[in-house]
Amino acid sequence: MAHETEQTSHHPTFKQYVLVAIILFAITIVEFLLIWDRAGVSDDLGIAKIPLLVGLSVVKFYIVIMFYMHLKFDNKLFTTLFIGGLALAFMVGLALLGLFTAMNGNPRTYALDRAIPYVEHAETEKAAETTTPAITGTTETETPVAAGPLALSIGAVGDSLSFDIDNMTADSGVEVTITFTNPSAVNTHNFVIVQADTKDAVATDGTAAGPANNWVKPGDSRVIANTVLIGPGETGEVTFTAPAPGTYQFVCTFPGHNFTMFGNFIVN
Amino acid sequence: MAHAAEQEYTTTGLSHRKLLMWVFLGSDCLFFAALIATYMVYRGQSLVGPYPIDIISVPVTTISTFVLLMSSFAMVQALAATNADNKRAIVGWLLTTAALGSVFIGFQIFEFNSFKNEGLTLGGNLFGASFFTLTGFHGAHVTLGIIWLLAMSVIGAKGRLGPKTALDVELLGLYWHFVDIVWIVIFTLLYLIGGFDTGPVLPGG
Repeated sequence: MAHETEQTSHHPTFKQYVLVAIILFAITIVEFLLIWDRAGVSDDLGIAKIPLLVGLSVVKFYIVIMFYMHLKFDNKLFTTLFIGGLALAFMVGLALLGLFTAMNGNPRTYALDRAIPYVEHAETEKAAETTTPAITGTTETETPVAAGPLALSIGAVGDSLSFDIDNMTADSGVEVTITFTNPSAVNTHNFVIVQADTKDAVATDGTAAGPANNWVKPGDSRVIANTVLIGPGETGEVTFTAPAPGTYQFVCTFPGHNFTMFGNFIVN
Repeated sequence: MAHAAEQEYTTTGLSHRKLLMWVFLGSDCLFFAALIATYMVYRGQSLVGPYPIDIISVPVTTISTFVLLMSSFAMVQALAATNADNKRAIVGWLLTTAALGSVFIGFQIFEFNSFKNEGLTLGGNLFGASFFTLTGFHGAHVTLGIIWLLAMSVIGAKGRLGPKTALDVELLGLYWHFVDIVWIVIFTLLYLIGGFDTGPVLPGG
């Protein structure tokens, strides 16, 4: 039955279909052997596996659309429609991955690190600038400092997970302002003062509380004071009244940092 | 002669139904791209387990992948039998395709269930959310295909499938093969490449 409008109906033969099935099967076996640790090639290949696996999948994908879906023998418009959709899909994927990679990890942390407090009824930008000089503003930095208040500073060491000092000292009852400087290009930190020997427990609970809570459990009774998250290159401060005499700890509760990033806070 | 039914006049000379199917498949690429990209974006970002390496079993899924690939072979045989007007073979191959698809879904149900028992849930962590959403929507596509295959088998059993209605089977085949190629991508990215992912890679190292 040859119709005048009939499309190119050259379909592959049974033998070709079987051959395609065997090729698809063989490629799947090869893919499996590439990653199966007992096949012995997985470790040797290392990261080179990924382009290999992607390449093999592209071959499978191509074979199925060309032969099983007949694009090789069908009108080119069908190929254009499908490849068009596929190309757009590929770009959606690349755009999303690119966007999130540019955010350097966790999008939520990224957003929190850069969040600016919302100023209600700000008349103009100028007015906002003059009335709110510092967003961290816990103290009036311009005010002459009386004898009582104590200003201390501490920083992280480069990109390493450690503080630049091991001990801090203050007198009980004094108002202490600690300025924390984060010189790292990549790491986010915070600075938390806790009861003696509780740094790891506080950090564990902080991990569960998440970055929205600055990696500190809200209302944690073991916490004396803490800064918000201090992103790479940023500086933050915290002001509190030095507690009863004794030895306390300071620590960064960003997940995993508490094991190396801590010290003693001694109150006399 | 049911001429009009099989070859309608169109400006492109191409069947509108077939064109529609290809447009749908092209747009379905975007649907899956969004879900796959979401999975890849959140890869390694889960702060709590279970992580892929704890639960993904590549050997088991390699078998189900193989089953799905073979179902595509059965599907092309169903179309070939339709063009050859072999009534018994049409129904036989359609049912074989549906059966292989059901085996794949069986593997997925088994997998989802064992993952759930090991603590992976839709709301538990980013891995669970993005994994179940992606593979779940793929499974839904397969399930829809199985229903379509069974319905087509019934039509075939009544002797209504043959060269003149081959387009019906061809469209079903296009959908089925598409579901297969989506799985080729998912299997590579989530299992072969992402199946060994461990805990979070924190910005702080």
